Amino acid sequence: MASQRRKSRSESLTLRYAILGGWALFCLMPVLWFLSIGFRPRTEIITAQPIYWPTFSLDAFWMIFEDWPMWKYLRNSVLAIIGSVLIDLVLAIPAAYSLSRYTYRGRDDIGFYILSTRMMAPAIVAIPIFFLFRNAGLLDSVWALMLIYAAINLSFVTWIIRSYMMDIPKELEDAAKTDGAGDLRILWEIIIPAILPGIITASVIAMIFAINEFLFTLLIASTPNAYTMSVALANFTGGSDGLIYNAIALVAFLAFVPVFIVVVAIQKHLSRGLTMGAVKG
Amino acid sequence: MARIELSGIQKRWGKVVGVRDVDIEIADEEFVVFLGPSGCGKTTTMRMIAGLEEPTEGEVIMDGEVMNDIDARDRDVAMVFQGYALYPNMTIYENIRFPLRMREVPKGEQDALVRRAAEMTELTDYLDRKPSALSGGQRQRAALARAIVRQPQVFLMDEPLSNLDAKLRQAMRVQIKHIQRQLKVTTVYVTHDQIEAMTLADRIVIMEGGAIQQIGTPDDIYNDPANTFVAGFIGSPPMNLVEGAMDAGTFTAQGIEVTGLPAALSGNVVLGFRPEDCTVGGNTPHLTGSVFGVEPTGDLTYLTIKVGGQQIEVKADRAFRAELDTEITVTFDPARICLFDAKSGERLR
Repeated sequence: MASQRRKSRSESLTLRYAILGGWALFCLMPVLWFLSIGFRPRTEIITAQPIYWPTFSLDAFWMIFEDWPMWKYLRNSVLAIIGSVLIDLVLAIPAAYSLSRYTYRGRDDIGFYILSTRMMAPAIVAIPIFFLFRNAGLLDSVWALMLIYAAINLSFVTWIIRSYMMDIPKELEDAAKTDGAGDLRILWEIIIPAILPGIITASVIAMIFAINEFLFTLLIASTPNAYTMSVALANFTGGSDGLIYNAIALVAFLAFVPVFIVVVAIQKHLSRGLTMGAVKG
Repeated sequence: MARIELSGIQKRWGKVVGVRDVDIEIADEEFVVFLGPSGCGKTTTMRMIAGLEEPTEGEVIMDGEVMNDIDARDRDVAMVFQGYALYPNMTIYENIRFPLRMREVPKGEQDALVRRAAEMTELTDYLDRKPSALSGGQRQRAALARAIVRQPQVFLMDEPLSNLDAKLRQAMRVQIKHIQRQLKVTTVYVTHDQIEAMTLADRIVIMEGGAIQQIGTPDDIYNDPANTFVAGFIGSPPMNLVEGAMDAGTFTAQGIEVTGLPAALSGNVVLGFRPEDCTVGGNTPHLTGSVFGVEPTGDLTYLTIKVGGQQIEVKADRAFRAELDTEITVTFDPARICLFDAKSGERLR
């Protein structure tokens, strides 16, 4: 009896791993495919017969860095994204604090208004934004990208942080008040440390959105000066040599790696943030 | 230290009245307990003393100075909360030091003060831990240490023991009282637990429906209740209250007759007597009923008697036993009887 039970248990465990492994493979397939294409010679990409064991080659890898300003695109992406997240946090934390802690007329309307900025299709405001930035002389610069990413993400960053703040017991603030702390002190020393997971979650989601942002980047970054990975990827065809699929695959992979690293590094916070902060709030 | 005066305090939220017309003077170094069922306005009253809530009407006065417009952080009060409210990201040491940092106590003095508070609350070994690594009792002591560390004018404690188990609660009660006597700080303590109120208080303030029902020493409150609410709230089990008719010094209700009461009273009254002021049997019994329940506890026996549709609680001798539904008689101590107006519930004297 007991050995039978043990056997069926190990069988179900094997089955579970098989299913999960299969699912993981399915999800990772595009990435593996990129890598497989990116690290093979150009001659082995388009063939009539599938090649199961391609030759390993770094040709495409060296090419994208030598022939194109790939580092610059990467740098633009990183600068614009980090800058935008910092702007978001500086604005969203006080806004969320106010929305979650003070009662004043129109508070809920303001909260809803902030959220509603995400409800329309971005294309609707594309033209006005283009003119706005052109008149401000901000076209084709990383600063402009920072501002636009920050504007796009500000609403839900505020919203996620707000829902975390609402979960902090009011008693904690009352205690800090009677201990002699002012509002800013309370925010800095009590609230922010307590909602750090929420801040990290919101930041990562904002990063992912920003790195994938395409429409406004294309609109504002009219030359490679301000190109980010997402726009560079779209414009990247290989130039006069025709379509270079292995180079395209590698660039795509490069655009994917930073987000992947960030998400893996903080996945514990992220899952908690998505369920508790965003959904519950 | 500080005297606190609440003068005509009211708190309303729109049409909802939380606290109505509270007037009380609390002497320097006094330990006052606000006691009442949940929602009676006791916590709101305390929060108004702390400055966390603003009175709609009336004045909060400390040492002769009106405090209404002074922020919580500028009042020299320290508060202990029901949920401890320890800062989760700081160690216990940092938690206790927090009020000192906020009030800009010189850096050199901070360490000694923190260690002294930790010693008084027996937390010296736990200073490096985060609150999450402490037990409920230790967290409560840490909250207490944070309150006493800067020797405020006033301690405010909002049901500080209600999250602890019974044994720990008793130990903490003794500790709180000891510390309060040692530091000689005016203390206001809110609870719904009458044992806490009776054991800790110099004076008890009983509240119900946002209003004060009675203010007095624990003995006053217990022996001399001002109305049927107080009589029915204090004591375990509380005072028996029986409605009946009064005529020429004789009280009669179904199954009960008491003579020799003040002849001036007449009409409908409520007769109150405590379970421990009753004797089973007696030569001229006041009450006749049937046994409904017998609950021995070891040191005494709780006897429940059914009289005219009402249950009367009696504390009988620990050896007392009786069959259910048998007839039983009880005699009261006439000196300990209280009479209340049947309509208003106010005490008749």
